[in-house]
Amino acid sequence: MRLIRSITEQKLSWFIRFLLGTSLLLIIGLSYSYHTINKELVYFSEKVNRTQKVITALKETSSGLYEVTFLTNSYLFLKDTTYINKSLAALDRLPSIVRNLDTLASDNASQKKRIDTLEDELKKFYKQYAILLRPGSYKTDPAGFNTAYKTTTRDVVTIRKLLSEITGTENKLLTNQEQSRDNYSRQIFRYNWIIMLVAIIFLSSAFILLDRELSRNKLYRVELENKIENLNRSNSELEQFAYVASHDMQEPLRKIRSFADRIIIKYRNEISEDVYQMLTRIDSSSQRMQSLINDLLAFSRTVNAGSKPKKVNLSNLLADAKANLSEMIQEYKAVIHSEVLPVVEVYPSQIVQLFQNLLSNSIKYRKQEQRPVIRLTHRVVEGDIIPNVTPAHRDIQFHKIKIMDNGIGFRKEFADKIFVIFQRLHDRNKFEGTGIGLAICKRVVSNHNGYIFAESTEGEGASFSIYLPAESLLQ
Amino acid sequence: MVNRQILMADDDADDRFLVQAAFEDNGIPNPVVFFEDGEQLVNYLTDTDNDISPLLILLDLNMPKRDGREVLQMLRGNLVWNAIPIIIFSTSNAPDDVNAAYQLGANCYIIKPSSYEGLKEAVMNIQRFWLHTATLPV
Repeated sequence: MRLIRSITEQKLSWFIRFLLGTSLLLIIGLSYSYHTINKELVYFSEKVNRTQKVITALKETSSGLYEVTFLTNSYLFLKDTTYINKSLAALDRLPSIVRNLDTLASDNASQKKRIDTLEDELKKFYKQYAILLRPGSYKTDPAGFNTAYKTTTRDVVTIRKLLSEITGTENKLLTNQEQSRDNYSRQIFRYNWIIMLVAIIFLSSAFILLDRELSRNKLYRVELENKIENLNRSNSELEQFAYVASHDMQEPLRKIRSFADRIIIKYRNEISEDVYQMLTRIDSSSQRMQSLINDLLAFSRTVNAGSKPKKVNLSNLLADAKANLSEMIQEYKAVIHSEVLPVVEVYPSQIVQLFQNLLSNSIKYRKQEQRPVIRLTHRVVEGDIIPNVTPAHRDIQFHKIKIMDNGIGFRKEFADKIFVIFQRLHDRNKFEGTGIGLAICKRVVSNHNGYIFAESTEGEGASFSIYLPAESLLQ
Repeated sequence: MVNRQILMADDDADDRFLVQAAFEDNGIPNPVVFFEDGEQLVNYLTDTDNDISPLLILLDLNMPKRDGREVLQMLRGNLVWNAIPIIIFSTSNAPDDVNAAYQLGANCYIIKPSSYEGLKEAVMNIQRFWLHTATLPV
């Protein structure tokens, strides 16, 4: 279930990435096109503007020309010399208008050529007008005047033709440019819509996906919370069970033992040896069951660390363990050598229990003819040398504490089995005990995110390697 | 001199029987009066006809009607009986129970031994200390 879920989650995540990527590319592409089109639009708008200015200038030229001819004709017709100045003034305005036209149309070669022709024509026109407008010239030089008048009339026709040609071209240009401009502005409008649409589609699909993810996450969270609650409940039920086991189950056992005991004490002289033996067996069986229950409880209590982790010198904890075992150590004259042990953050009482179980184990399984000698060594190692280490622990350092004894050892194939709860390698009559000691050791070490391994060759002593993380992983 | 009574409240008949046997086997001369719960014990004490001043009280913690804690609290709050030595005699080894018992004014807390031999020894120790070594209020 979890596997399937994780696969679809991964797919979804890739899909979202893909969607985001393509949307971004699309938006960037569209924006770039928009930018280009916008540039074209601005270009053509400017063009249109300019052409319009050219057309206006052309109109101005045309009307200027008209003004000049009109004023000149008025002067000639009315013989009123005041028109001469007015006409000259109108004539003076023309060059600047035409210059302006020249600059405006500078980007169009054929138009420029025409405008140049226009300028040339106008120059000629000015020259003739200079003759026409010389006061009284029609009287003083009638032949010259007549020629000039004819020439100007012809020139005006040429100029008008030129002007209308230029205007016609400009008008055509204007139409084209306006078409292009309108075309681009329509395109811009379309692009606006497309970008908006893409953005809307992307945003809404991202929203839908995220919303789905969020509600799924919420579902998982609720599921997880329920699981935690169930776990807490079953934990407290387990504690309840431990209490019931310790109290209620021990009660009848205590009675069985006590009554059997009492019968033996009170009626020792009246009962047969057979009855006495059987009563003793009842007693020892009940006693064994009591210790099994007690050990089971001790084991289950090791699960709940209870106390808070503390930074302590392991040498001190070893000393505590030795003090707790002082009777046993004295009785068998056990020798314990230890290197200086490190300071580590641990649950102190659990580590005392660990040392105590391992030391008493070594003393218990001593060789009959030898006094037990136990050696402890310490060194710091990298996580990756630990067999079957969790991947997360590969890169961190561990304290390796090795406890070696000269006892009877055990066969290699039992190296893992000895840590299993209630597992015993020997006959109960030979060595007493329930087989919980090393199971507790394993529990303690895993409570500390560590590792424990046993090594031995039968008859040649045993060694236990404990690995504790150098940097505390305890909360 | 009349031997003063020792009172014991315990709802477990087997335990009452075994404690009685242990007192007998140790040859303790003081009469032991047994009660099945705390209420019986309190009634016995308050009954003016009895007119007794017990030497010691042995009290189980978990009992029906009035449990050991209530009896302890009641006796310690009473001007007449607050001086009687009280020994808690329970199967519980929970630190909370032990601490609570002493806080409520118990003089001693004994976890019921798991064998008769152990029980006999415990009763013998009670005799040695409370009956022979200690001087108790009159």
